[in-house]
Amino acid sequence: MNTAALLGPYHADRVLAWENGHSRTYGHFLSDVGALADLLPEKPTVINLADDRYRFLVGFAAALVRGQTTLLPPSRAPGALAQIAREYGNSYCLIDGTEHVEQLPFYQIPAGTGSPTGTVKVPQIPINHTALVAFTSGSTGNPHPHSKTWGSLVAVARSTGTRLGLKTSEQVTVVATVPHHHMYGLEASMMLPLQYGMPFHVGRPLFPEDVRLALADVPSPRMLVTTPLHIRACVTARSRLPPVECILSATAPLSRSLAKQAETLFQTTVYEVYGFTEAGSVATRRTVAENAWHVLDGITLLQESAGCSLHAPYLLGPIPFPDLVSLQKPDRFLLHGRGEDLVNIGGHRGSLSDLSQKLSEIEGVQDGVFFLPDDTGASVTRLIAFVVAPGKAAEHILSALRTVIDPVFLPRPLHLVPHLPRNETGKLTRDALLGLMQDLQKEERHGI
Amino acid sequence: MSDVSPLEMEVAKLIIRTLTLKVDPAQIQPEEPLFGDGLGLDSIDALELSLAISQSYGHQIRSDDPDTVATFASLRSLCQSIEKHRTK
Repeated sequence: MNTAALLGPYHADRVLAWENGHSRTYGHFLSDVGALADLLPEKPTVINLADDRYRFLVGFAAALVRGQTTLLPPSRAPGALAQIAREYGNSYCLIDGTEHVEQLPFYQIPAGTGSPTGTVKVPQIPINHTALVAFTSGSTGNPHPHSKTWGSLVAVARSTGTRLGLKTSEQVTVVATVPHHHMYGLEASMMLPLQYGMPFHVGRPLFPEDVRLALADVPSPRMLVTTPLHIRACVTARSRLPPVECILSATAPLSRSLAKQAETLFQTTVYEVYGFTEAGSVATRRTVAENAWHVLDGITLLQESAGCSLHAPYLLGPIPFPDLVSLQKPDRFLLHGRGEDLVNIGGHRGSLSDLSQKLSEIEGVQDGVFFLPDDTGASVTRLIAFVVAPGKAAEHILSALRTVIDPVFLPRPLHLVPHLPRNETGKLTRDALLGLMQDLQKEERHGI
Repeated sequence: MSDVSPLEMEVAKLIIRTLTLKVDPAQIQPEEPLFGDGLGLDSIDALELSLAISQSYGHQIRSDDPDTVATFASLRSLCQSIEKHRTK
């Protein structure tokens, strides 16, 4: 059986995790993983809700050692967790606080008490083992599962590291503002350090001042794994960040001017990563210097009549791009935007038809639709919703929505209307919705 | 809106302007939660708001300051934190 090691080069006394100046080494890690693996129940799937990056990784690795699969729910909304729990009934939950999934048995991941003992063997994981299942919201209202083999996670981490010029002999510490419960965060803040024997910071800084303190909490050289939103916040606040070797940005397009400002202000190099749940990280670019995306080693681009797709030895078959792209060279492509149904709000990808479906399922809602207005100039353009729900208040619908969708997609605002401007075939065109929005804005201005 | 200080009214307007909310500033209750069930704000809003506050008042908000764990709990707690740390 083909296997790949749980981690890259193993040195027991190298640091894996930093927290408030305290460290856990790779030796501690393997000891914690072994101890937890012995305690886990005999179940095929696990939902890991740990917020602490180190504890999540201990749980993820222990599940791998036991031949189990970690599920990454599309969001933490109670309804979304309950749906995954229903579909994967024979699961359990790993937690590091109080949040858990009601329908499932749950286990605390210990705070890290293990100490390295004697010779530790680095676990070998079969490359065909389904290490995790990530979910995207489909257009039908049900989340789509995407299985990731252990081999694919290792391959993406290695090719990303190669592209960034990382060496296993160098100790670059990763500080990440993104959650590790999604593919980008998991790949860049966990798999990447793990495969290169590097450390990471356990926290998830949000505000510019948090980012500065987290970076200051770890030794140089440092890498910041983040998003355009956080970069913009740090640039606007003119944060005095400690030296950062490189900033990695993903989840939404980064403008060249913002990348330039960040490179100048923080004396660093900014790379963007393009990827999507179905394939993981796919390509990178140095935003200040290139428009085209350079695919990671091992990925082949295929131009077909229906559009572009990509293939890699670690993927089961060709995967179509969810976005509109055009090939420039065999390993370079340009990105031209998203398909009409897909939206990306603050780095969270969603399907308008899926959101509208969930809206329509709410009690008292007769008809409803989500709509992405044109760019308003704010850093994040939010969705709006038009709802037909006689006798219901907007607050009632919003609180029902909050239990079934990611809060980032909650409409700003939700308009109650007598009916939706459907055409004779029952369709709602973007023009009709834009017209409705403009009418409502006119009414507001006239104080009707 | 009862017993609202001038600063609370000013910050309520800043929140609405920054986050393009469809709310009358007088409707924001100073003791009500800003996030979750209250105004339903999320972490993207918190980030936007922290920038607006640092630009208007020179107060750099951070998550791990014991004083500011509750900063965003309500309009009132946010204003108390601004009052304490403002430099402009």
